[in-house]
Amino acid sequence: MTKAFSIFGSSSRPQLGPFEQQVLQKLWSHGSATVRELLADGKIRQAYTTVMTTVDRLYKKGLLDRVAEGRAFRYTPRHTPEELQRVTALESIRQLLGSGDASSLPLSYLVEALSTHDAQLLDELQLLVEQKRRELRSREHNAGGNKAREPR
Amino acid sequence: MFALRGIAVSLTFFVLVYCLLSALVAVAWRSLKWLHAAERSLAALLFALRVLPLAASVVVTFAFVVPSFQLLEPRSIDIDEGIGAVPLALGICALLLIACGCFRVIAAQTKTSRVVARWLEGANPLVVDAAAQTEAQTVTFRSRRGIPPLTLVGVRRPRVLVSESAVALLSDNELRIALQHELAHMQSRDNLKKLVFRFCPCPGMAKLESAWSQAAELAADDAAVSNLDDAVDLAAALVKLSRLLPVAAAPVCTVGFVTGSISVRVARLLAWDEAHTAQTMRIRPWYAIPPVLVTLLCVFVTYGPALTLTHEVTEWLVR
Repeated sequence: MTKAFSIFGSSSRPQLGPFEQQVLQKLWSHGSATVRELLADGKIRQAYTTVMTTVDRLYKKGLLDRVAEGRAFRYTPRHTPEELQRVTALESIRQLLGSGDASSLPLSYLVEALSTHDAQLLDELQLLVEQKRRELRSREHNAGGNKAREPR
Repeated sequence: MFALRGIAVSLTFFVLVYCLLSALVAVAWRSLKWLHAAERSLAALLFALRVLPLAASVVVTFAFVVPSFQLLEPRSIDIDEGIGAVPLALGICALLLIACGCFRVIAAQTKTSRVVARWLEGANPLVVDAAAQTEAQTVTFRSRRGIPPLTLVGVRRPRVLVSESAVALLSDNELRIALQHELAHMQSRDNLKKLVFRFCPCPGMAKLESAWSQAAELAADDAAVSNLDDAVDLAAALVKLSRLLPVAAAPVCTVGFVTGSISVRVARLLAWDEAHTAQTMRIRPWYAIPPVLVTLLCVFVTYGPALTLTHEVTEWLVR
């Protein structure tokens, strides 16, 4: 797993190219596949050799396992998407905490980021509540208007 | 020696059944998420599953192991036969488990009492508006100290504490509904249930307890709300109180109003639908009567062979 993080550098986002990500997604959906199987449904519009180079690169980055199958290799993702996400996040936080001279500083950034996220979420929820209240009031208003128009 | 061996064997069975059932429950409880039952029923089922290992191991020990040992173990050999290494080791494990449970309960109670006494210093009974003069008035206190905005505290004498800031922030109806929510927790004895969880220490149960906590919150929301206006007021109260700065971690025997996933609770309240709520399946306590009767009948019919089998296992353990 440590090897997989050499690709992430110091950022919290994996340093995978778009095509590498596409291939990884494809392998997650297949479970395991050969290069030919990856190309079979026509969604990947790259040359066979390009795909082969990409899966080989992912294998060398420690993200895939492979076993020989005839003259080709069958590739299997080494981690589930959740595992990869979890350990990426953990590794990023570890790097963040170990990055500064004052160890409390990165932690305070993290708390600030979380608080901002929470505040945004609460703002959105507040908007939803107000919207629902307006809906209820207009419904009551309409019901009152209809009642007033009813013939006695 | 006979009595000691009996105690060791009983404790051995207790710890074995407890560990086995705990492992089963830790794996199997997730299947409940496929059950489309009312949140109150779901919370009750999750609680029942959480305490099942303890309850079942006590029942098995006292209904089978102790009688089988008393009736079938020959007393004349007590000089020749020792306790046995396995019962001795597992018996000590069981004692440690029980001691750990007792310690956790006492520690939780002591800490809660200390914190609540501090929170209650200078607190006054809360006078709410006429519409809310229900049961809440007798148990609700308004505190100036830095307490969570709205929280139910205590097990024997549960009380609802409301902070000054919560009173200032919420409208009368929002406060009334929020109090109803806490009273629903009180009626469900959720603080007592949390204390029972402390008595059954077991690794791997944290997610089950967290799911129970969320279900208990949703059940209290359901109990507090009777129409869409109330639901919107409760959602508004939840959002407003979530903005207050968190105080220090609350002790075990408390249930805070701002608990669980706020976004899930708010979304659920805003989509409140009386017809749907009425249609949701409720699992009544008397549903358990037929299976319990069948089990009792089976035990009655097979009690003799079961005691013999238990004694054989005992012999195998002591050997």
